[in-house]
Amino acid sequence: MRSFFFLRWPVADMFRLTSDPIVPTHRSDDQAGAFVTFKGRVRSRNGGRTVLRLEYEAYAEMALTEGNAMVGEAIERFGLVDAEIVHRIGLLEVGDTAVWVEVAAPHRREAFAAAEWLVDQLKWRVPIWKREIYAEGDSGWIGADAPPGGGKFEVEFGRRMTCLHEVGEAGARLLGEARVLIVGVGGLAVGALPALVGAGIGTIGLVDPDEVETSNLHRQTLFAAADVGRGKVERAAAFATRLRPGMRVETFPHALEATNADALIRAYDWIVDGTDSFAAKRLLNAVCRRHRKPLVTASVHRWEGQIMTVMPDGPCLACLFPQSPPEGCVGTCAEEGVYGGLVGLVGSLQATEVVKGILGMSILDREVLLVDLRTSDVTRLARTSRPDCEGCRGELPGSDDPLEVSRLEQAASRFGAYRVVDIREVGERPALAVPHLHIPMSRFDPPSGPMVLVCAHGVRSLVLAAELASLGIPAVSLRGGVSAHPELADAGPG
Amino acid sequence: MTVHVRYFAVLRERAGRERESVEIEPMTARELVDRLIRERGLGLPSPLIRIAVGGAFVEDGSVLADGDEIVLLPPVAGG
Ligand SMILES: [Zn+2]
Repeated sequence: MRSFFFLRWPVADMFRLTSDPIVPTHRSDDQAGAFVTFKGRVRSRNGGRTVLRLEYEAYAEMALTEGNAMVGEAIERFGLVDAEIVHRIGLLEVGDTAVWVEVAAPHRREAFAAAEWLVDQLKWRVPIWKREIYAEGDSGWIGADAPPGGGKFEVEFGRRMTCLHEVGEAGARLLGEARVLIVGVGGLAVGALPALVGAGIGTIGLVDPDEVETSNLHRQTLFAAADVGRGKVERAAAFATRLRPGMRVETFPHALEATNADALIRAYDWIVDGTDSFAAKRLLNAVCRRHRKPLVTASVHRWEGQIMTVMPDGPCLACLFPQSPPEGCVGTCAEEGVYGGLVGLVGSLQATEVVKGILGMSILDREVLLVDLRTSDVTRLARTSRPDCEGCRGELPGSDDPLEVSRLEQAASRFGAYRVVDIREVGERPALAVPHLHIPMSRFDPPSGPMVLVCAHGVRSLVLAAELASLGIPAVSLRGGVSAHPELADAGPG
Repeated sequence: MTVHVRYFAVLRERAGRERESVEIEPMTARELVDRLIRERGLGLPSPLIRIAVGGAFVEDGSVLADGDEIVLLPPVAGG
């Protein structure tokens, strides 16, 4: 039966991919009395976010093979006369047609059933991924829908993990609910990302502003030569959803900075440090402590790696290294070179810390692990908390940024007496829970004496503090604003 | 007395060796590091170097004993 239809319509014709607007064939056949057409369109809202555009990416060869096999199966299963699917790839605007499914059957009942079956199958069998581009400027890759009814794919995917005594069904559920943020998509992420996806982590966030470069490839092996020049977070997200289409990957093509770190880190359960600068590691350490998020930090040098996990109440990175090394005295991979296989190993160890932490197993929360691949030596050293560690309190050690404080009390040591000034606009409040003046930024008139400026995220207040400082007026910004200091937010009316 | 020193990462490269045994008078961990910075040209400010003795990090004033296994660790940034 199937071969009969294959003779009439070449295989590659029943399922097509196109980067142009969809033009359906509207095939007709005198045997068909019922035609059902399904049109999937780009909608402007999804999961509470405003979507501006969509990008579809397909693994084309496999999509065509699998798509045509699927349509052939539908013809056989429902006794159809004909069926056709056309799927868009590339950039689409809201309102564009993303997929067109048309089914021709002798009677309406088979036609409706087959159309629905094809749309469901399409969403989890055919390797096509969509990236939603949101009004706020970020984007997220959405994998294929999870297979209906728990899904054979998901069950088979997770079986070897669930079999482990330490995991089981309960552990697999915890891993599936976890949200893990990888900051820096470089060598360490190459080891960490596949291991986290493989362990069944439900949601992974990726932060990196850079594009893939040829000099990255020898150690950043989840990228391909063809990815050079494309965004790292996007390519890494495509890798992850190819491996496990049902998972969620959130991408942030920006650098981690003091102004965005609080908001990013608060949205996740575990943080993996994949950065290659000591400044970024210290920032991560402080912000993770501030929000009581566990951080798995690591670094590599030629053939050697260090890895440790900073828990909310354990010793932190700044307890071990209280001082920032001067610029240039501690090499980066770019300056010093690194053996490619090392980063995969150390990144994989980082993923293992996350997985074991989620499962409640023992982790490197009071030790640092040293790996030397030249000699195959592995060394574990015990570390303890340092009294009065600024990093433990969520502050950047040694930082005396003249424009920012990370807590109100720091302003007291800088100024003596000071006032808190809320510069948010009228509609933005409720009022702060501490004594303060409210002077909206749009009509700001500086009061007398030193002040701490507070806004929603610490961005406007930093801009204003810099402006006032240039006029000789003593003012600092509260880093991260109200969003980083929930204790300042009052439920009462403003 | 004799202590056994192990260098990691950039310290190993600058010392030109991975391990060595050092003859010392009674001294603290930090005093030993300061001496090795001079003698081996380690090229890092002393406070940046962390010292572990017998598998655990120690305070600067910790007094060394005969046969101690000492690890010197610099901060590393690569990723
Ligand atoms: Zn600390």
